[in-house]
Amino acid sequence: MYISIDWIKDFVELPDMEPNKLAERFTMATCEVEDVLTTGELLDRVRIVEITEIEDHPDSDHLHLVKFTDGKEEKQVVCGAPNVEVGKKVPFAPLGTTFPGGFTLVPKKIRGVMSEGMLCSETELEIGTDDSGLKIFETGAPLGQSVGEYVGQKKDILLDIDNKSITHRPDLWGHYGMAREFAAVFGNPLKNPFDSAWEEKIRSWMSDEKAPVSITVDPDSANLGFTGLSMDNITIKPSPQWMQDRLNACGMRPINNIVDISNYVMLELGIPNHIFDRDTIRGGQIIVRRAGEDKEFTTLDEVKRDLLPSDTMVCDAEGPSGIAGIMGGLDSAVADTTSRIFLEAANWRDAEVRRTATRLGLRTDALQRYEKSLDSQLLERTLLRLAELVKESCPEAVIKGQVVKANMPAYTPLVIDVKASRICQVLGKAIDTPEIVRILEALDYSVALEGDQMSVTVPSYRSTKDIECDADIIEEIGRVIGYDNITPAAPLNEVNAVRLSEAKVMSRKILDFMVNRAGALEVMTYPMVGDKLLDQAFWPVKNETLILANAMSPESDRMRPSLIPSLLQAAALNQKTYSSFRFFELGRSFQEDEKDFCHERYQLGVVYFDKKKSPFLEAANGMEELMNSLNIPFRMVPGTNDKNTLYPEGWEGLHPYESMDVQIMGRSRGYIGTVHPLVCRNFKIKGQLVMAVLDISDFQNQRMKDKTKYQPLDRFPSSIFDCTVVADAHTPVEDVVAVLKKGMKMKELDWVKVVDVFTMSETQKSVTLRSSFKDAEKTLSGEFIRQAEDKVIAVLEKGGFPLKV
Amino acid sequence: MLQNLEDLKSEFASALAEVKDRSSLVNLKADFLGKKGKLNDILKSLKDATPDVKKTLGMKSNQLKESILGEIDKKMTALELSEINEKLKKNWQDITFRSSIRDQGLTAAGYHPVSIIQREIEDIFTSMGFEILDGPYVEDDYHNFEALNIPETHPARDMQDTFWFKDMKHLLRTHTSCIQARGMETRTPPFKFIGPGKVFRCEATDASHEAAFHQLEGMMVGKDISVANLIYFMKTLLSEIFRKDVNVRLRPGFFPFVEPGFELDIECLICGGKGCSVCKQSGWVELLPCGMVHPNVLKHGNIDPDEYNGFAFGLGLDRLVMMRYGIDDIRHLHSGNLSFVSQFKSY
Repeated sequence: MYISIDWIKDFVELPDMEPNKLAERFTMATCEVEDVLTTGELLDRVRIVEITEIEDHPDSDHLHLVKFTDGKEEKQVVCGAPNVEVGKKVPFAPLGTTFPGGFTLVPKKIRGVMSEGMLCSETELEIGTDDSGLKIFETGAPLGQSVGEYVGQKKDILLDIDNKSITHRPDLWGHYGMAREFAAVFGNPLKNPFDSAWEEKIRSWMSDEKAPVSITVDPDSANLGFTGLSMDNITIKPSPQWMQDRLNACGMRPINNIVDISNYVMLELGIPNHIFDRDTIRGGQIIVRRAGEDKEFTTLDEVKRDLLPSDTMVCDAEGPSGIAGIMGGLDSAVADTTSRIFLEAANWRDAEVRRTATRLGLRTDALQRYEKSLDSQLLERTLLRLAELVKESCPEAVIKGQVVKANMPAYTPLVIDVKASRICQVLGKAIDTPEIVRILEALDYSVALEGDQMSVTVPSYRSTKDIECDADIIEEIGRVIGYDNITPAAPLNEVNAVRLSEAKVMSRKILDFMVNRAGALEVMTYPMVGDKLLDQAFWPVKNETLILANAMSPESDRMRPSLIPSLLQAAALNQKTYSSFRFFELGRSFQEDEKDFCHERYQLGVVYFDKKKSPFLEAANGMEELMNSLNIPFRMVPGTNDKNTLYPEGWEGLHPYESMDVQIMGRSRGYIGTVHPLVCRNFKIKGQLVMAVLDISDFQNQRMKDKTKYQPLDRFPSSIFDCTVVADAHTPVEDVVAVLKKGMKMKELDWVKVVDVFTMSETQKSVTLRSSFKDAEKTLSGEFIRQAEDKVIAVLEKGGFPLKV
Repeated sequence: MLQNLEDLKSEFASALAEVKDRSSLVNLKADFLGKKGKLNDILKSLKDATPDVKKTLGMKSNQLKESILGEIDKKMTALELSEINEKLKKNWQDITFRSSIRDQGLTAAGYHPVSIIQREIEDIFTSMGFEILDGPYVEDDYHNFEALNIPETHPARDMQDTFWFKDMKHLLRTHTSCIQARGMETRTPPFKFIGPGKVFRCEATDASHEAAFHQLEGMMVGKDISVANLIYFMKTLLSEIFRKDVNVRLRPGFFPFVEPGFELDIECLICGGKGCSVCKQSGWVELLPCGMVHPNVLKHGNIDPDEYNGFAFGLGLDRLVMMRYGIDDIRHLHSGNLSFVSQFKSY
């Protein structure tokens, strides 16, 4: 929104300050000034010149070489306008002039001839609507004078206010409200031209005759008060230049005196209003009601709009004439022939009109104000101001009857009790009570002071939504004082030790392990996925109850049931670039829940990929080490494909032989598996892909106890025995070790490990086992060792693993 | 006789120079110092000399013996060393063939840039006594809006900002402020905590907008907390993040859950406040919203606003990440693209 400084000065004197400094101070106290603009710069540059010579352009049949003078020197431009004529006075824009829209004149040749600027039309200079040719000035126009000076254009400084920074301030959507802020911020008095004397003056123009228009309001509609006034003897004509200038400055196109007055009053007082051609009000009745049976309506912009029965409409005896709070109708608009008018100032429920406007995609200037919660107490003032300006524009106009009103809400002023000391304490700054009172009174509050205690009466237009409690009053003081004037200070607080939560400790430990030990890159993927991706991953769980009502696209329309599909997608992307990689995400998956709606599972998802060699064992080793580092008892068992939270029962992505479950307290909480080639094919992944998932939700909040217990170091040497046995090619080595451990039943056997595996043939392999024996009390005798070694061989032999000879 | 010793010395020197292996060295030692060695031969001939001569020559020959032994030891070590080095040469390996010049696929490992910055900020806050809290992504209307004093008619609740689930009761949290609402429920003042995490907005994505991004919420509640305290903490935090003294300013900003509410600007770090293209010539860059916790928010958290108050703030993590690393497109963050994350590798 643009605020005209010239307009503000109608109501308050401003300090003599650089416009940028003024804007900065205002930003710090009230709302964000995004830019400071100066109007009239264009017309200042453009000068009046007289055409002295016209030649045809050698290379064009419609362009001319036009020579002209500003009284001092002669210049030449290339011009295509049809109305060039020697002796005519026209506007000339020299090189360097920037036009509305941002176009700047630079030196250039037009079809080979140098042009030193541009001769302009009315529309190019925005001083009229004629675009048929050059603007021709009257013959007496002084040569060389700037067009701005000639047309008497007033120069102005505009503040471009960020609308977002005043969403909570309905009172700032007009110049008068803004002026009040300037008054408070700069400590200058606010002039109030709208006092009771002014009101009396306008009421004295009213008559006792019956008002020609009656108003009926359905109290259950979106209306919050409706006022109207009828006037006769209107002449439609252009507005005076000063009003056109202000409207133009604020970005509104002047149309005619009546429409302009309506817009002007909205920009001045912040209350939207509507002026009807009264002859179009059928039955002399205004009826505010829900649309009901009315299905469509054509708005002022000539667009047919579909209505909902719940939309509130302003109607006459026969049908709708405007959508409440948003836009009037085409038929009731003021026309060139209008002579009788009806002025309307009404108020509407913010959320309701916003809902309708959002549905219709119609964010009008009126709506932008109504949705901020306007004050019904200001309707009558608005109406009187309209009448005043109409009378000023058409002195012969007469008011018919009195103001008509309907549905005006009862009003009780809001009073907030707050202590001056509390204000100082919360701001952290000592402020004299008289200064607090001065600020509040400058902002139109009235203050009853009793020692430290203040009773603050809030102006009606601030209490519609904005000001509610003592914290709001504290803000008023703080912002006007300037937060810059508050010195930072550390709070006086007791000191407490804080510890990271168990879950945080665990997630950091996992992150650190995955990066520093597993050598993987951390990634992030969207927690939302689409049906297509789930299908691609053969994922049967579709999270139908976790679908978004307003998803951005079908590719991310629901919460993911697992990290796996997202990570498959990421793997597919990256295998195009890299021949091997490891990455992981510590993220969330989402489970539907009838009672709680949704359960969020905290999961680690890991991807190992290699174009050639299977990274399964690396992934499995990584998982085993990770679990050890987390100090949680676990077991790694061959994939069970049982019900768990990691993958759905019977998931086709599971490899038939290469998958393992990590069991924690008897339940599968982790999984490592080669992704089935079928799924890889769906994702166009060419290579060996292994994934692991660990669901930490159920134990992340438990403290990871360090169960390490010191053992005295061995005092006696241990004895190592290696032997090589033959096993079936598909027998897991873990089974061979298990047979030996189980069969030995000997307390001196410390450990058994596999030293080497050698493939002998397609059906047989050899396994070299190493057994270690020790006794904590003594050195083992040669005799004992020989017997133990014999037993190892016997146990293996009995278990089906004969010694390799 | 003396001459003999001198001759022997030079004879040894030239013989030693000829020695190429350890066995010849052993032989050389025997040849000169052995029982039947050359030195002994000379000593034997001393038998008939005068005691004076004996004394002088005895001393000289002992010196010679010591010197020969020393030379031999030195030579022995040198020979051994060159023999071992010869073996080492045979076992030569190419020590330049390291992973850094090998194509073994992508071997980089490291944290996601958001994790890096998040942990950095978490550590700053824990060092100042803040807890770190967490909360669900899938929220209810109450914790995302009502508890935060966002009324039912507030535009933020519209479909164009918030991802709603089909039941129209649940939603994806639009800010980490829900962590405030939940944090207050389980705590009694005084307390201070932060809540980092993903948040979601239903808006068209481009280089600077994402439907999923990261915020970090902070809250401190106690007795007599003031705006001056808020400025102090923000200044400390930002000076730590940017590792230099930063100037901040507060200006009015409206957020339903704080009152007074502020936009906090930092003095432009690029131009030092003189005005440049980054700060649009203003010298200040808008960084984070903050304010004093609204009394209604405290009430929703079962905290008496007449007894306690506090401040809260929200920090856009992605923005900091992008500033720190000069990232030009926010969409890389959730892309899962290793070409992106590997740029932030630890090793």
